[in-house]
Amino acid sequence: MGGRGEKKVKSIFVQRKNIVYTIIAILLILFPFMNDSRSMMILFTQVFIFAIFAMSYDLLLGFTGIVSFGHAMFFGIGAYAVGIFMKQFEPTLPYFLLAVVITILITAIVSYVVGLLTLRLKSHFYAMLTLAFASLFLVLAEKWRTLTHGNDGFTFRTPEIFRDRLDFYLICLVSMIVVFLLLNRFTNSPLGKVLQAIRENEQRTESLGYSVIQYKIIASVVSGVLAGFAGILYSVSLRFVNTSVFTMDITLDALLMTIIGGVGTLIGAIIGAGLIEFAHHWLTELAKVHWIFERWIIFFGIIYILVVMFFPRGIVGTVRNIKLKSKKRVTDKSEQQKAAG
Amino acid sequence: MDVFFNLTLNGLATGMLIFLLAAGLTLIFGLMDVLNFAHGGLFAWGAYSGTWLYATTGSFIIGILGAVVTGLILGLITERVIIKPVYGNHVQQILITLGLMLVLSELLKVVWGPNQLSATAPDFLKGSFEVGGVIIIKYRLFIIAVGLLVFFAVQYVLKNTKIGLVVRAGVMNKEMVQALGINIKKVFMLVFMVGSGMAALSGVLLGPYSGVIHAEMGMEFAILAFIVVVIGGMGSFPGSILAAILVGLSGSFMAYYVPDLALAANMLLMAIVLIFRPQGLFGWKG
Repeated sequence: MGGRGEKKVKSIFVQRKNIVYTIIAILLILFPFMNDSRSMMILFTQVFIFAIFAMSYDLLLGFTGIVSFGHAMFFGIGAYAVGIFMKQFEPTLPYFLLAVVITILITAIVSYVVGLLTLRLKSHFYAMLTLAFASLFLVLAEKWRTLTHGNDGFTFRTPEIFRDRLDFYLICLVSMIVVFLLLNRFTNSPLGKVLQAIRENEQRTESLGYSVIQYKIIASVVSGVLAGFAGILYSVSLRFVNTSVFTMDITLDALLMTIIGGVGTLIGAIIGAGLIEFAHHWLTELAKVHWIFERWIIFFGIIYILVVMFFPRGIVGTVRNIKLKSKKRVTDKSEQQKAAG
Repeated sequence: MDVFFNLTLNGLATGMLIFLLAAGLTLIFGLMDVLNFAHGGLFAWGAYSGTWLYATTGSFIIGILGAVVTGLILGLITERVIIKPVYGNHVQQILITLGLMLVLSELLKVVWGPNQLSATAPDFLKGSFEVGGVIIIKYRLFIIAVGLLVFFAVQYVLKNTKIGLVVRAGVMNKEMVQALGINIKKVFMLVFMVGSGMAALSGVLLGPYSGVIHAEMGMEFAILAFIVVVIGGMGSFPGSILAAILVGLSGSFMAYYVPDLALAANMLLMAIVLIFRPQGLFGWKG
């Protein structure tokens, strides 16, 4: 009985969702023309960049069920690649594109090797090994002083088109939308369905004849490359890069954003990114009122633990569940009435 | 020769500290299938509470005991509140223990401030003595002694007591143990507490060894402990001490000859083990 009704509900649901997304996207494009607060624009730019990062993380955690604790390394590779190219060579577009290509190559190779080493083992191994690899990159960035200037980092100039804040805002927004659409297509493709099958039941997927490890490696490579892209945008937005891009804090940001926003939903990662970045902005300002706000991350740590325990699908997943349930009740009722009438 | 001897001693001391951390991890993993990413946080809490108690009471022994008690209590709370609701779900476990790690290290900064604390050894462990032309620093010897003591004590309990028997049986097959009428949940709690206590002990011992303690060191040492657990084999207690000594020695020798590659050497070691023997040198779980 439920089959057709559910489909209908879903298609209405999807349509309405798409309209809402389009409206939000248009509002975000118009936002800088209506509001000329510079700090707000920079904050939004930051949200877009971290949304890309969080979506790339969600591909692993939410869609494939792989936990990585070293996602910062891909972010850092991108950030340093563009910084080093702009500093050592000229801040022109060709060199920037070269840096992008190098980032894609390195992140793809690193994620492939790490995946190959550990993805055939239990999930703990990938989490541990990525954690260790990220700390290796952090040490590398600290020690290779001639290239990275160690802990202090370095500033660099960016190509002409990235210098204007408004242009850069739009570039980041468009990048985020493109990544969202691409990942949406990717996760709904047959390949993406296999990834989700792995998340739900690995043994079963394996016994259906899929080579699970290969699919997992593909997911980890795609995710790593996208994280590297986010890193590129991040360091271009700051025109500065230091070792902080490789630290655990960056990975934790992605984790908090994805978990609190909602795993397995790309929009959740975007909402999470907005939430965390804005909270960071407001709560740091509150630090003048009381010093406890200096440690604002503690609140998010506790919220994160509670979400993992009680709402494992995050904000978006929980809201979606409630909505689907109430919709279903409505359709069930109307179909009952139809049957009765 | 002098250098060689000193580096060996140094490596052994570091190895013992890593062993104390990794032993808890490996036992908890072997028995409950939980990899505790908050272990480094317990370690840092041990370091801070112990150093603080030592500074306020003036007694190093009280400091050590206080740290161990802190570890036991935090272990109990962690197991009851955080781990218990998510037994059996690996992804949730990994995520939740990392969240706890975050909260623990931030709380540390709330209680003791964000700056690093300095720690010194008590008078009776300060200084060094000479044996046959080789200078031996007392405190390093002390760490090695404590590490070995803990190793033999735990080994004795595992091999010769009923509770040890249950733990070893539980590592092999916990359903079977439960079917035989033993409440394995109680054993889980106990092992988790002991593991946390060992981590805290490692933390407080590290203080005077490195001179300063800071909140981030929990993660730094936890990474080394993870490497040790992978090399030694997840769930293998004797494996953890051998692997810890291996990692400690390679760390101390590399730090002397090629300091930039100290961590890389250990990572390479781990990668090789993962390729050729993914269950670890002494483990049987993959």
